[in-house]
Amino acid sequence: MGETVKLFVNSQEVEVAAGKNLIDALAVAGIQIPHFCYHPALGADGNCRMCLVEIEEGRPPVVPACKTPAMEGMKVVLDSAMIKKVQQDMLEFELINHPVDCPVCDQAGECDLQDYYMAYSLEESRMDVPQVNKKKKLDFGCGVVHDQERCVLCGRCVRFTRQITETGELGIVNRTDAARVDIFPGKPLDNRYALNIVDLCPVGAMTSSDFRFKQRAWFLTRDKGVCHGCAKGCNMYIDHHREKYGDDIIYRYRARTNLQVNGYFICDEGRMSYHLQNNDRQTETIVGGASVSFDDGIKAVVEKLNQAKKPLMIVSPNSTVGQMWAVLRIATLYGGDVSGYSDGYIIEGSGDDYLIHEDKSANRRGLELLAIKQDRAHLLETLGNADLVLNFDNDFHFSAHDIEVAKLLSEKDYVAICSHRLTAFETASVVIPIASYSEYDGVIINHDDVIQRFSRAVHKNNPPKDIVEITRLLGGAITDWKRAWPGIRQTISLLREVEPDQIPEEGMKLMNSGEPDVTA
Amino acid sequence: MEVKILSAKFDIEDSHRLEVAKKHGAYGTLEKLFAMDPADVIEEVKNSGLRGRGGAGFPAGVKWGFLPKDLDKPIYLAVNSDESEPATFKDRYILVRDPHMMIEGIIICCYAIGSHDSYIYIRGEYTSQLKILQEAIDEAYEAGYLGEQVAGHDFRLDVTVHRGAGAYVCGEETALLESIEGKKGQPRSKPPFPAVVGLYDCPTIINNVQSIASLPFIIEKGAEAYRAYGTEKSAGTHLFGISGHVEKPGMYELPLGLPLMEVLNEVAGGVWKGRQLKGVIPGGSSTPVLTPEEAHTVTLDYESMAEHKTMFGSGGIVVLDETVDIVKLVENLIAFYHHESCGQCTPCREGLGWMLKIIRKFIAGDGREDDIELLLELCDNIEMKTVCVLSAACTMPVRSYLEKFRHEFESYINSSNSDPVQSQAE
Amino acid sequence: MSDRSQLISSGQPFTFDSARDAEFERLIKRYPIRESMIMPALWLAQEQEGWLSTEAIAYVAERVGTYPAKVFELATFYTMYHLKPVGKYHLCVCRTLSCYLREKQEIVDYLAAELGLRPGEVSEDGMFSLEEVECLGHCGTAPVIQVNGEFHEEMNVEKLKTLLAGLD
Repeated sequence: MGETVKLFVNSQEVEVAAGKNLIDALAVAGIQIPHFCYHPALGADGNCRMCLVEIEEGRPPVVPACKTPAMEGMKVVLDSAMIKKVQQDMLEFELINHPVDCPVCDQAGECDLQDYYMAYSLEESRMDVPQVNKKKKLDFGCGVVHDQERCVLCGRCVRFTRQITETGELGIVNRTDAARVDIFPGKPLDNRYALNIVDLCPVGAMTSSDFRFKQRAWFLTRDKGVCHGCAKGCNMYIDHHREKYGDDIIYRYRARTNLQVNGYFICDEGRMSYHLQNNDRQTETIVGGASVSFDDGIKAVVEKLNQAKKPLMIVSPNSTVGQMWAVLRIATLYGGDVSGYSDGYIIEGSGDDYLIHEDKSANRRGLELLAIKQDRAHLLETLGNADLVLNFDNDFHFSAHDIEVAKLLSEKDYVAICSHRLTAFETASVVIPIASYSEYDGVIINHDDVIQRFSRAVHKNNPPKDIVEITRLLGGAITDWKRAWPGIRQTISLLREVEPDQIPEEGMKLMNSGEPDVTA
Repeated sequence: MEVKILSAKFDIEDSHRLEVAKKHGAYGTLEKLFAMDPADVIEEVKNSGLRGRGGAGFPAGVKWGFLPKDLDKPIYLAVNSDESEPATFKDRYILVRDPHMMIEGIIICCYAIGSHDSYIYIRGEYTSQLKILQEAIDEAYEAGYLGEQVAGHDFRLDVTVHRGAGAYVCGEETALLESIEGKKGQPRSKPPFPAVVGLYDCPTIINNVQSIASLPFIIEKGAEAYRAYGTEKSAGTHLFGISGHVEKPGMYELPLGLPLMEVLNEVAGGVWKGRQLKGVIPGGSSTPVLTPEEAHTVTLDYESMAEHKTMFGSGGIVVLDETVDIVKLVENLIAFYHHESCGQCTPCREGLGWMLKIIRKFIAGDGREDDIELLLELCDNIEMKTVCVLSAACTMPVRSYLEKFRHEFESYINSSNSDPVQSQAE
Repeated sequence: MSDRSQLISSGQPFTFDSARDAEFERLIKRYPIRESMIMPALWLAQEQEGWLSTEAIAYVAERVGTYPAKVFELATFYTMYHLKPVGKYHLCVCRTLSCYLREKQEIVDYLAAELGLRPGEVSEDGMFSLEEVECLGHCGTAPVIQVNGEFHEEMNVEKLKTLLAGLD
């Protein structure tokens, strides 16, 4: 915790970190102070007045917690009649011009205004004069839809565009109760992180056109995930739900705070990548162009492997360390080569200096640490020697421009083991459907050498199998990546101290990174 | 009763021109000033008892003393010429009739606090006033009173006029700084105070025009001479603006401490048209109203006003005669503060509009007894819950009208006619 | 305050004329940061065109080097910036406290009837626009009106007649 101070909250002594404001300091101790405008990523603004607290013997006696540092001996009062009244009053002011259209509001169920009203007010409305009318359903661009009437003018969205993206598309125009968030005419949101505004908005004023009216918040199961959209490995929530008689599908991703990896935000591209977990999935097993049962598909692959003299296994830079390991093992079993060729995942110039990496793979460090060769020359050489190719979900679509590789591949007996329907798999003799990352668990290592563990979120009605299980069905010995971990750990010295179950929530920074260090 | 300290040159033709002003002593203190130690200048101002004439009444010299010592940052002086408090029009006289007195005051202040850059924030509505002020500054530059070497001394001073554009709240000192920085005039949370973190994050002193214009007299004649006017705790003179229902409205320079009614009757000619007095707003629209009884016991100084549970404010005195419809007056006041709310803090942004709509219910004949209670409660709910005191500037007077003239609100409820005062007059 | 966020396009590109260009460059030296020039630049633009179009606001943003949304904020916050064209004679009647007590309503009513305008409107021929504004700081000489920034004090209907007769 570092340096601490002892203070009193409602006469109870609490020890908290020094140097933090009361909202953050007390939150760690499990004490919530209601607030709208304060956000740890955006700082204290002090406009909403919802976090007013009483300081006994303080001058002034009522202060905004967001602007008040925790100090030794301070006597904070949150439960006095005065503070309860203040909280009630602030909510009344927020609500007098609010449409209270919760039944048709996407935010209902996860709305701070609604939650605080339930927790701190429950008073009847005394407003019997006409409300202030403002504009609704404004298209702010980047899929952000704004409702000025629901807005509490906390300014988080404005501060986000000024402090975080430094694009400044939003402003609060007018003053007094005519104040409202707006864009300059013809200058809508235009940045790669705009949808964080929807997460940041404490009420239903900023909604996502992608999510609008799709699902009620209370039906969603919120699981923790790690984005596989690029080498950053941003943390997010996978919000999914199994409709009655339907399948478990994902409705959205939301940013999940991880100060070691992505801070408080994720990029829009990653956020929208949930669609690819639902859609364009390979579900059919195909042998020789015909749809067959999964078991028959596996049988066909086993036969091919048994006949092959020199199979080549292609690994995806998106697979987990455990999956990569399982493929390596099975390659050894069948005397095959392994390639992690995936240059196409790297899209030059597509990254930025914030969260977006130009390498669109989640675990290239895993390939490197396992010493799986990624270079093109090696691929061409092994591909030339191979009489059978097994591609474990490496999205060659990314490398489609590589005509030479595509041509060589089309001449081979080619087995595609894939989670998605991809054009580059058209020439495959066998196609085996597998799970995607929302449907399995494992560990990946981002380009900053932070190893992160993630868990299975989605449970499909017909759960596809993940690569580890496939390798087992193909004759491999690994039944579970965690059981294989001792072997992995012995192989990769950097992981020697890493125990999957003990990887902390925010991941673990691997030290002494450098050259591939396979010892096996 | 009237005295001529600040207003000494006001009646002289073309007194705003340097040539004329100089003939009457303008910039005469500078030799003495530059021979003094800056710390002694501050001490002299402290001893004079000069209090901020913008409305808050904070001792000027003490304020200067809050500047951090030995900071490796520039220090700024911002002169508050936003003068937007209804009933306040005193600073305008200085800007127009003796701008060089103010410029001289700026030089004194900047020398004392070690500032080399001063901004005068003038309200946007003062158009011709801005022109005269700018001409005076230009003349001062030409004559060497401003610029690289003030009056030939090794002291640089630049003075820039920053024009507001219609926002009462910019008279609040941190909103004023925000406005100069190119932002909306939305007050900052304090602490930190501007003397520590002010304009462009640098230590900044903000003083009202009249406070600054009082400095030449204090330096020239000394603190004691200034204290000879006024009372022990309310030293000096003040430019009182008297308006509303009096025979002779206008600006009068008076020592502090005079009885209010004497001033109204003897200086301002008494209530106009031979009418009876209904009340007096003592120091600008945001000060609680005084009943005729209270008006007869109060004196024009900070202490007496406080004893009468109101404030000296800006010294803008408004007389209300017997015909004034208090409910409509309150509507006029709330409309003003609602219009001027910066929109930042929830209670002020949302609450003042609500109060305005409630008062309009009364005028429309739809007011209810519990609306009076609701208005009183809203005053409490809003007041002191905000970053700045704009909301209190509305709720404090409104509460005073509700408490002291409650019967007028009630008569709107009880009367079938929605306009009882008018019906009385007919 | 009513909503001021509906900006109007002039349909013409905006740039400072040479005099205002020079004034902008002169003033900017007075401030340590460029954003301090937003308000002065808006004033210059308004002086030049009489009002602030979408184009003028965008120009100020570009010239100062800041976000258009930020200049938009200021243009709508400060009520003296005209966000639509005003009349050749822009008449502002003070509506607050002392002017209210000294019958500003007579002034408003007379002007409204004489010019056929409600506060906030511009006459069809573009000659006059009428606005009720908050305290103008001339309480001792109430009621007061401002015509194109020029103050006229202790107004009454008689004086208004003379004043209007002099405007053409």
